[in-house]
Parts: sequence; structure tokens; C-alpha cells
Amino acid sequence: MGEDFNTDSMLDMFLYESEQLLETLENVVLEKKDEDCFDEASINEIFRAMHTIKGSSGIMMYENITKVSHKLEDVFYYLRESHPENVPHLELVDHVLEVSDFINGELDKIREGETPDGDESKIVDEIDKFLTRIKTGIEKKGDELPPENTYVEPEQFYIAPTGSESSKYYKVSIYWRGDTQMCNIRAYTAVYSLKEIVEDMQYIPEDIITNEATSEVILAEGFHMLVKCQATEEELISTIGETSGMDHVEIHDCTKQEFEMGFHHQEEDNIVIELDDKDKGSEEKKEKKEPTPGDYVIKNKESGKSKKLAKNQPKQQPKQTYISVNVEKLDALMDMIGELVISEAVVLQNPDLKVPGLDLTNFQKAAGQLSKITTELQDVIMSMRMMSLTNTFQKMNRIVFDVSRKLGKDIELEVIGENTEVDKNIIEHISDPLMHLIRNSVDHGIESKEDRIAAGKNPKGKITLEAKNEGGKVYIIVRDDGKGLNKQALYEKAKNNGLIGNRAMSEFTEKEIYQFITYAGFSTKEQVTEYSGRGVGMDVVVKNIQSVGGNLEIDSMEGAGSEMTLKIPLTLAIINGIVMQVGNSTFVIETNAVKEFVRIRRDMLVKEPDGEEYIMLRNECYPFIRLNQRYHLEESKTDIEDGIVVVLEHESKFICVFIDELIAEQEIVVKPIPSYIRKVQGLSGCTQLGDGSIALILDIAGLIAGEERK
Amino acid sequence: MKILLAEDDFASRKFMSNYLGKYGDCDITVDGEEAVDAFLMALEDGEPYDLICLDVMMPVLDGYQALKAIRDIEKERGIQGNDGVKIIMTTALNEERNVKKAFEMGCTVYSGKPIDLKKFELILKKLELID
Repeated sequence: MGEDFNTDSMLDMFLYESEQLLETLENVVLEKKDEDCFDEASINEIFRAMHTIKGSSGIMMYENITKVSHKLEDVFYYLRESHPENVPHLELVDHVLEVSDFINGELDKIREGETPDGDESKIVDEIDKFLTRIKTGIEKKGDELPPENTYVEPEQFYIAPTGSESSKYYKVSIYWRGDTQMCNIRAYTAVYSLKEIVEDMQYIPEDIITNEATSEVILAEGFHMLVKCQATEEELISTIGETSGMDHVEIHDCTKQEFEMGFHHQEEDNIVIELDDKDKGSEEKKEKKEPTPGDYVIKNKESGKSKKLAKNQPKQQPKQTYISVNVEKLDALMDMIGELVISEAVVLQNPDLKVPGLDLTNFQKAAGQLSKITTELQDVIMSMRMMSLTNTFQKMNRIVFDVSRKLGKDIELEVIGENTEVDKNIIEHISDPLMHLIRNSVDHGIESKEDRIAAGKNPKGKITLEAKNEGGKVYIIVRDDGKGLNKQALYEKAKNNGLIGNRAMSEFTEKEIYQFITYAGFSTKEQVTEYSGRGVGMDVVVKNIQSVGGNLEIDSMEGAGSEMTLKIPLTLAIINGIVMQVGNSTFVIETNAVKEFVRIRRDMLVKEPDGEEYIMLRNECYPFIRLNQRYHLEESKTDIEDGIVVVLEHESKFICVFIDELIAEQEIVVKPIPSYIRKVQGLSGCTQLGDGSIALILDIAGLIAGEERK
Repeated sequence: MKILLAEDDFASRKFMSNYLGKYGDCDITVDGEEAVDAFLMALEDGEPYDLICLDVMMPVLDGYQALKAIRDIEKERGIQGNDGVKIIMTTALNEERNVKKAFEMGCTVYSGKPIDLKKFELILKKLELID
């Protein structure tokens, strides 16, 4: 919401503006909720917001929004004019939020193309009663009431089109059988019958009525139409009907841009460049954008072509601070930079260059420059997709307020690092999980006031929401000072729900026990509340986080509180990796995961009777995997003293793998394993190296998990 | 109620004249110039239109030009403000700058296409053109 849309359309503008006003209003209210009353600035801000919404909704004839905003505007009008004392603050806060929610609800309906049919009368009545009390208070004090804040009807109105947002675009092609006569006339019949139900259309060949020769063209290539309409494919087909000679009809969805480009490919301009109108009053802009009478005179009325207007669409580039770009374009750009990195490697590591005696100093200099530029390009492109977490974090304010109020708890939300930026994709996937975690903290974490006082804690609970960038990852932490997690209870619940078999509690680390709450089908809350405890939340939360390559860590101290940490890698696509050889296969391991390389002596290797091997290194014992055995590779080193052992770490767990030799460290582009290859444990992707060969990327977590399960 | 309709697309024209015909006599023009002519003619005959429905995209003169011409004629004859004919512009153009311009030039209602008939009727009532 608020990110990519066209703010030129009247309706979108109304929706955007109103939502922005309501968002600001909510923030103002939540900021001041703990005060005794609203200060002058807040009163003015709220009054202005309601006034604007009242006006614009009036012009657009959304009567219920107009009525409710007028009523609230009325209240703040009196507050502004008369400065009454002892206004019941919390009650007023409730009313403001109620109005805000109502209007937001109606705006949502409008955006979805539904009728905003909410009944505002109840809210208006309640506010009216509240207002009467205030007015009485003013009069009792002996002050005079200011003149009535009467509602003046607008004089001009805007009617939003019905369902034009849901206009569909299709490409329709009709083919006739080879011996059919007068296809051009038949084509025209089809056009004529479609005209009843389509909003706009073009077709090719165009001169079907006047030129008989088009009949042959139609026979050979088919008759093609681009239509814009509300109808479904079935309706289109049945309207065209079936006349003799028709062989078949093809219908495909197409995009608005394809429709507008038509059959002649006049304007290839796909990127929608909108302006963030921060200074809408600027004269210069007004001159360039204002429509002039005469722009819309229809010049060429030719059959088959879409209407050509008198005005040219000048491609100006006025001053801009923000550009709104189609997200698909950004994704394509990301893919291309990945390909560029691979291509760069192919060029720089080209076997053609490996001619002995070749002086490559100039080449190396140029190559260095190239690498610098590609890295910079990479950074800029990644940063284009980055958005700050501010909006996401702001939403949490409202949740804490609502849930804590409903449960009778007093909770403060502290937000740190909200300006941290993350990839847009990540924001979309963590918004819901974060809400769930915050709800959990409010519902289960923070105790009731009485319990907290009894435990000697501050009766006001505190939840901290923190975001920070570290080591190529984003950390988002939800911390509360509530009652923490009880390991015994968690263990027992997990056992009773059959989630952990018969393993004793001592077999698990503390962190592992806390992770139980993320297992599907787990819940320690006896009663299922409206907000949580249904046991379907946390596992979905973890799934969402994992889908962006992150994970959830849980830490807790009973009595003191809990801490949920989301760790999400900043980018998945391009990583630093170490390329290594095992047999005739090449593997890549993420550089961050490599702890060290060692050469092992035979006496450091421990072999169990069941065939499992371990490495003893500095008195620590590590599980050991021979990749050649694991993946049945040939021609590799078997003697432990011939190859190299790589010690890998993932989330405080270690594992050793045996490889033949190290090749290089380089940036690699992670590509997913193609779908026609079955999933192999321990492999998370593949990449193309500089010499064109394919390397497989090792999944450390997978390898470790595989070992544990044995 | 006397109504003037200016619409260059046959299907829309048929639809609008059928719909408006319920409320009064509906005269039909197919381009901006004809519309202004018709308006002037009715004014001089002493039977001015109560409502004009103007399309924006039309041949010869577009909706904006017709709107300007009509309001200029009214101004010249001392017809001002609420006394002027009520003009509803109907068009698929929904951009804010188009609406703003139309309002600046004196259009009473700006309706996007496809027309929301319920709202349309509500407006006719608000403007006291129908009961």
C-alpha cells in the first residue's frame, strides 16, 4: 500500500491522499495517547485532515465518509475555537481511531471496486453525544459557543467510473477455413457484434469494409483484434458466435500496454515514470502538465484504428525526486546483473588468455576497472530495491495499542533502527511474521499489571523492536520484558503432542527447546485467545522467514523476558564463494561458512564401528563427510593426508568436509537447481564458473542436518 | 427537462440518449461544434437547455473547447453562476489534471466512463434537475 500505483487518476489520487492523511492522523493520535489532552498543533492537524477528507469525499459523492469526517471535524472545530478543559481524552482518542478505521474500511472497498456501503450513523451518533457534552461543558463555564460549523455542499462533483479498474484486455484472433468467401465482410460482422460489449477496440487488417483484397490476407494470417472490455473470454466467444466457415477463434489475455501499443508499435515506452508531486504548486510543472482545450479533438477517424488525438504526448523529463518503476523491470535488472557477473568471469578467466608468455598488464588494468564498475553497478541495483522498514514498524504501533488495550495491559513499544533498509521482497514477507511475533509478546509475553507488580517489575511492559545491518545480514529483533519461556513446560507440551518422540529433555540444547514453539501443532496456551494460541501461527511465521532465506532465533530467560531474532541475508543472488575440486566435480561453498582449511594427519581421524567418521581438532570432535563418498564421485583423493579438510560453520554448528583441492575465491551468482533435477540433500544451487563449467553449491545447513538425523 | 447530448461514438450515443430520454427531451449532436451551435440556437429561441452532457474526445471541437465556448456565451449574456446550464462531462479520461481543468473551466460534474448510473441519478437530484 502506498508504493506502486498511478497517482494521476482522480480516484487513485483521492485514495492516496486520504490514506496518507489518515496515517498521519493515527500517528499523531498514538503519539499523544498518554497525554492528558491534545495540544494545539495536534488539534489543528486532526482538524485539517478531517476537513480535507470531508471536502474531497464530498466532491466524489462518498456520503458516508463525508458525514463521518464532518462530524469529527466538528468536534475538533470546537476544541480549536473554545479550548474546553477536561475533555475525556481516551474517549476522544477512541473516537478518532474509530473514524479512521471506518474511513479506511470504506477506502479499501472503493479500491477493490466495491461499493462503500458502510453505515456511519452509529459512529456519528456517538460522536454527536460526545460533542454535546463538550458543548455543555463550554456553556457551563460561561463561554459562548462559536458559530456553527455548518456543512456547505460542494458545487462541482466527480463521479468515479464504475469498474473501469477491472477492464480486461484481450487479443482475439479469428481464423476461417481455406475455402471461405468474403472473409472481410465476415470479419466486419464480428467487429460489429463485439462493439456492443467492448469499450475500445482495434483490428488488423483495417480496411476490411472497403478493400476486398483483405479477405485473402485474413484467410492467410487470420483476423486479429485488440479489445478492452469488462467481459470474460466466454462472453466474447459467444458474442462472436459461430458462423459457417469459421475454423477457430483464439483469445489471449494481454496487458494494457500491449493494447495501447496496438498493431503498429508506435510508442515503445513501457516504463511508467510518475512524479512524486512534492511541490505541486510549482508554476513550471503546471505549465507542462495542464491539458489545453483542443488537445482532445479527434483528428483521424479511420476504421480499425484507435482514436488519434490532437495533442502530442511530449516526452518531457521535468525535475523529479522519485521515480515509480514497474517492479518487474527491477527484477529483470537484477537478473541481468547476475548474468553480467557471470559473463565478466567468463571474459576474465577465458582460456584464450592462458597463452604462456602473454603480457597481460594492460589487460589486467582494464579488467580491474571493469570489475570495479560491475561491482558498483551491482550495488546500485540492489539498493534500488531497498526500502526502509519505517512503514512496517509504524504498523506495529497500532497493533500494540489495540491488543494491549483489549487485554488491559499497559505496554510501551520502543522502535530502534527503523531507517534500516531491506530489499522490497523481504519487507513483503516479514510484515506478517513480525505482526505475529509482536502479538505474541503482548498476549503471552507481557504479564498482567498485577503479576508484574508482584514480581517487582515496572507495571508498564516494554517491547523493543529493533533492526540493524550486520555482516551481510539484516537482524530484526522483537524483545519483551515479560515472563519468558518455561523450558520444562515447552518440553512437556512438545512431548505430549508427539513432536519429539521419546527423547529426554537433556538431549536438547536450550535454543533447541525454545524452537519447539515453531513446530506445527504446538501451543502451550490452555485457552485459545482471539489473538494467538491456535498453534498454527509460529510454524507459518518460520516458513515465511525461510522463504526469503532467513531464520528465526529464539532466546529467553524465565521471569525476565524473551527475544525473537529474525536473521535475513541481504541478498541471495550473488555471494562470495570458495571454489573447490572433488574428483571431477566442482563445488562452491559460501565464504562466510568456511572457518578454516586444515591438512589432517591420519591420527586425527576417528572411525566409528558403524562407519561414521570424526575429526579431532584441538580437542574438539567434528562430524566428517567425504564428499566423494557422499556423492559417489570418481577419481578423487581417498587418503586423508592427500587432500584438504574444510571446517564449516552454520549457526554455531560445525562440520568437516574432505576435498581434493582449492581452486579460487570469487563472486558467484547463485542459480537455483533446475526443476528437472531431483532435490539432492546438501546442494542448494548451482552456478556457472568463468571457464563455462558448472559448479554445485553446497548447502551447509542441509549437510549438518543430514548428519544429525543419523 | 431539456437535454443536449454531445457524443461521437454511436454506441455511447444510443445508450445515453436512451437513458436520458427518461428524464426529458434529448437532442443529439455528434461533435463539439454542433453542440455549441445547438446550445446557442436554444438560447436564442428562448428555450435554453437545462442539462448538457458533453463527451471530451470529439471531432472538430473537443469537450473542453465546447465547454469554454458555452460558458463564454453565457458570460456575454450575463448568465452567471448557478443560472448557467448544468454541464456534465463524460469521458474515459480520469486523471486528476483533467478533472481539475474541467472544474476550472466551469463544468458542473465530471463523470468517468463507464458511467456509474446510480451516482449519476443522485447528482441529477442534487442539482435539482429531477425530483
